[in-house]
Amino acid sequence: MAESLVTDDMRSIVGAVMRESVSHPVAIADIRKWAIAVYYPETPPRQFWDEDYAKTTQFGCIVAPEEFNPFAWSTAKPLLTDPKVSQTAFSEDELGVQPPEYKAILLTEIREQHGRVRIRAGDAIRSVVRISQYFERDGRKGRMLYTTLSNDWRNQSDEWIRTTESVFVRY
Amino acid sequence: MTRIDKLMVGEQLPVFERRGTIEHWNRFAAVNDEFAAHHWDYAVAEEEGFPAPFAMAPLQLAFFHAMLRAWIGDDGRIVSVSAKLRGPFFKDQLLTASGKVIAVDRVEGEIVVDLELAQVDETDRSIAIGVARVALKDLGEVDG
Repeated sequence: MAESLVTDDMRSIVGAVMRESVSHPVAIADIRKWAIAVYYPETPPRQFWDEDYAKTTQFGCIVAPEEFNPFAWSTAKPLLTDPKVSQTAFSEDELGVQPPEYKAILLTEIREQHGRVRIRAGDAIRSVVRISQYFERDGRKGRMLYTTLSNDWRNQSDEWIRTTESVFVRY
Repeated sequence: MTRIDKLMVGEQLPVFERRGTIEHWNRFAAVNDEFAAHHWDYAVAEEEGFPAPFAMAPLQLAFFHAMLRAWIGDDGRIVSVSAKLRGPFFKDQLLTASGKVIAVDRVEGEIVVDLELAQVDETDRSIAIGVARVALKDLGEVDG
């Protein structure tokens, strides 16, 4: 069996906060554009673009689709002038730990859990990202290191919105 | 939108289909700030070992959400969606997302439905498999 790619330093950062981001307040236009982009070339459901219709729904206003990303382009934290933070990639060196050597990194699995509270216009969403798990498998390309990144979202009232676990493989 | 009184294990959801086009992916890239060249540039995709540009994984996940939303209607809620990515969704292919009810339960005033999910292209190649849980308002009897 090949030697483990997970070092003691890497094990020590499992569960530690790797990064935090705060979105700008979400605008209805952001929600409309997201829905239009996802549903193109068809018209998205009315609840995402028609304020009068949205008033008649269980939420009483336009809410974002569950998969909406409020962190695209620019965030309140970090600022545009700070180093860019990705919502979909990572490296251990963000926590001062040497990452393993690899030739390729691929996203293999996404798991999303959604809370009852939805994102509305005006919400500022806080994202907290942690490495939650390492595991390894031997494959055709040799030892493959799987890393699960957990991304927890809450709104400005600390209400849970969503947790996304992304599993990346490096080899 | 589903009818709760007709809900049964084995029920197939109406499929969600999209052709892989640059016109669509550009729009998603714009809202998600996702501009990796392998999504539109054949040369870059080929350099990375792929025969053609391919779609963004978050867009594929959004397709599952869109299919589920259409089925549950405005009063339902999506509890969870998971997808294992089996292969890229290549440009010009037709993606078909499908779902099947695998369990139905009543929990605290809601009908909780577990589903098996799949995405295939027009050659029937598997693009993603997954599972989801949705919750519907409990309005009456359910056939399990």
